[in-house]
Amino acid sequence: MTFEIPFGPQHPALEEPINFMFKIEEERVVNVKPRLGYVHRGIEKIAENRNYQQLVYLSERICGICSFAHALCYSQVVEELLDLKIPERAKFIRTIVAEMERIQNHYLWLGLTAKEMGFETLFMYAWRDRETIIEMLDMISGKRVNYGMSTIGGVRRDITEPMIKRMEESLNHLEARAEYYTKVCTKDPSILKRTVGIGILRPREARALCAVGPTARASGIPRDVRADEPYAAYGEISFKVVTYRGCDVASRMYVRIDEIKESIKIIRYALKNMPEGPIRVKAPMRVPEGEAISRVEAPRGENLHFLKSNGTDKPERWKIRAPTLANLLSLCRMLMGVNLADIPVVIAGIDPCIACAERIALIDAKTKKLKVWEGKDLWRYANEWYRKRYGL
Amino acid sequence: MVSEEIWALIQIFLFPGFFFLFFLAFFTEWVDRKIVAKFQNRYGPLHVGPKGVLQPIADFIKLLSKEDITPRMADKVPFNLMPVLLLSLAITPLFCIPIVGSNALVSFEGDLIAIMFIMSLIAVLVFIGGWASTNRFSTIGSIRAGLQLFAYEIPMNLAMIGPAIAAGSLSISKIVDWQIHGFWNLFIQPVGFAVLTISLMAHLQRVPFDIPEAESEIVSGWIVEFSGKKLALIRLAKDFEFVLASALIVSLFLGGPYGPWYISPIIYLAKFFICVFILSNLRAAFARYRIDHLLAGAWKYLTPLALLQIFLIKVLGV
Amino acid sequence: MEDDMFRNLKEKPVTIQFPYEHVEPVEGVRAKVSWDIDKCIGCRLCVTICPGNAIQLVGRGRQAEIKYNVGRCILCGECVDVCPTKAIYATKEFELVFNNRRGMITHFRRKKRKRTS
Repeated sequence: MTFEIPFGPQHPALEEPINFMFKIEEERVVNVKPRLGYVHRGIEKIAENRNYQQLVYLSERICGICSFAHALCYSQVVEELLDLKIPERAKFIRTIVAEMERIQNHYLWLGLTAKEMGFETLFMYAWRDRETIIEMLDMISGKRVNYGMSTIGGVRRDITEPMIKRMEESLNHLEARAEYYTKVCTKDPSILKRTVGIGILRPREARALCAVGPTARASGIPRDVRADEPYAAYGEISFKVVTYRGCDVASRMYVRIDEIKESIKIIRYALKNMPEGPIRVKAPMRVPEGEAISRVEAPRGENLHFLKSNGTDKPERWKIRAPTLANLLSLCRMLMGVNLADIPVVIAGIDPCIACAERIALIDAKTKKLKVWEGKDLWRYANEWYRKRYGL
Repeated sequence: MVSEEIWALIQIFLFPGFFFLFFLAFFTEWVDRKIVAKFQNRYGPLHVGPKGVLQPIADFIKLLSKEDITPRMADKVPFNLMPVLLLSLAITPLFCIPIVGSNALVSFEGDLIAIMFIMSLIAVLVFIGGWASTNRFSTIGSIRAGLQLFAYEIPMNLAMIGPAIAAGSLSISKIVDWQIHGFWNLFIQPVGFAVLTISLMAHLQRVPFDIPEAESEIVSGWIVEFSGKKLALIRLAKDFEFVLASALIVSLFLGGPYGPWYISPIIYLAKFFICVFILSNLRAAFARYRIDHLLAGAWKYLTPLALLQIFLIKVLGV
Repeated sequence: MEDDMFRNLKEKPVTIQFPYEHVEPVEGVRAKVSWDIDKCIGCRLCVTICPGNAIQLVGRGRQAEIKYNVGRCILCGECVDVCPTKAIYATKEFELVFNNRRGMITHFRRKKRKRTS
């Protein structure tokens, strides 16, 4: 008997609306078809009517959890177009906040994966420990999410001495908890049964399907933008790129927990060796003509922004490629042959952030050329579709 | 005479009859939620009544007042009958468990077998209810409930027969009597106690075995189409099944109530809440298993252990 | 996991019972902003820089009055940084609840000078 089961857009397993149509035969997946488009907000269109300084705040709100990675990427791309050199202290502060965001994201991910497996206690514990890092971010930047820290030309707030003392206590506490979670996730039999051997992605497939982030690093591919093309202060801090060879959900879990420990080490080194100096330089409002690309290692993978300017104070075209969009093809490959009960665990294993991934590009299948649609084309298409479907 | 009949009516309706059992079911649900919340570092029910004691009653009354929707393609008769049958089948075995003194309200030779039969009927009813809903998710849930029945039923029945063989009788009241004059079965048959606890977790459909109603995969499984009054009755039936499971463990392995009529309910309730604590602890400590893990594990470990226990009883002559 | 779970039985729950208990806001919390209207010179820098179009200027120059819409404000604090006379200052109110849309707009008026004849 072949069932056809819809997952989403509303489903307890997914935090964000995305639709998968599964064909299930005897509790195994035979075919999967994803559909995006439920959270499209038109960010790239709004960007054509705002000036560069206002867009920093828009770029933060692309995603709620990896918000600093998007703001950092955007600031870096504008600074490259302006050919602006930012002070050294600003680079170190940016590195510290980016690593704190990575710790916060990985704790959240651990809790969510535990909830998909039905393990509520681990979910509550991981989110309780996440409160420690959120309070630190609150102390530094004044907000718990969407910290307005990064701006064109540097950062907006400084890290002072009393803050550094409190951060050291929290970092010790977080490191102890990360050790505890490593012990739980390698020894608890119910977690091991649900994650080992599930959602296999071989290294050859991962390379062919362009997997990024911890999904690729769990298949043994050492792909990390912080090491390949250092930005901010990563060129002066030495750290380890964490890889595992298991290719399954359990390896992704171990990669992320080890990355928490690496991030704590990076933050400690940066706090100790931070240079003195100003934190911000003034940036002009008008940007000369040109195109630039900037890449950043967000907690979920490689984040890429492309900006094209035309000499005024508003951008001409801004294109965002979020890491989840790159991992979607690998997800569809991982889901084939998986048991019905393991679908939420595999989907949670790539850390999906669908809100980042909503972009439209229309490709004509026969001539393989990119078509650009304007607002009135979209409107006409929507009206025609509704007329045809409801027979008006 | 007349006073005997009035006494019988008081026993059936007030204590230890319907009234007492209803309140025990609601109170047990509150205790379960509070214990799981304390393990997870949060409060649990807090505001309705002192420390949230009336929260399960408030949930029940709220559900009774909600809209009751029947899907168009569902089988009307089994769909509407199933919650009522489930509730009545869940309450009936509780009259055979001794609470005051070592004689239950209804006790006859073979009531242990009757209880085992009713518990299997409950699982078959779950399958019928999910099948009659004609929803993709509830069909998968009911198939999983049927498969789960294959896994846990044999170890559970074997573990329940163990104390009966030792006591030489198939009536729960006589088993309790035998334990009062000897040792608790917990010390003589510890393997049977462990097998019965794990199988009862599978019968109650609680984590780690809540596969037919897994929330994150198939959105409440076989319960998904029930709403309003039917959902209220199903949740009440689940509470009664929990009470039945703890009461069975107390009577068969922990010695049941003993002493004069004014002390025995208190001793019974103390042992009862120890069992509730053990079952809630197991619920908070594990992730959810998959159905093929459960089937493989039950046939590889639980059934051989239960057979070993029966063999030991015969060999050691206890 | 069992040892950690039993240790948690003895500890106090981490939940904060809002609204009976409140959280203390930190030192530099980003919350609603407010105006010291006598220092404003009407340069319109805050209007240009605001990402959410929450500030509106009524009038010109030193007689300008400010209309501030909390509903559109994204609490970024750019106006505080950019004001040349430091007429805008940050407050600590972040629990903002209104009953209708008109309550969200605050109009900062100037005191009318008495005519001396």
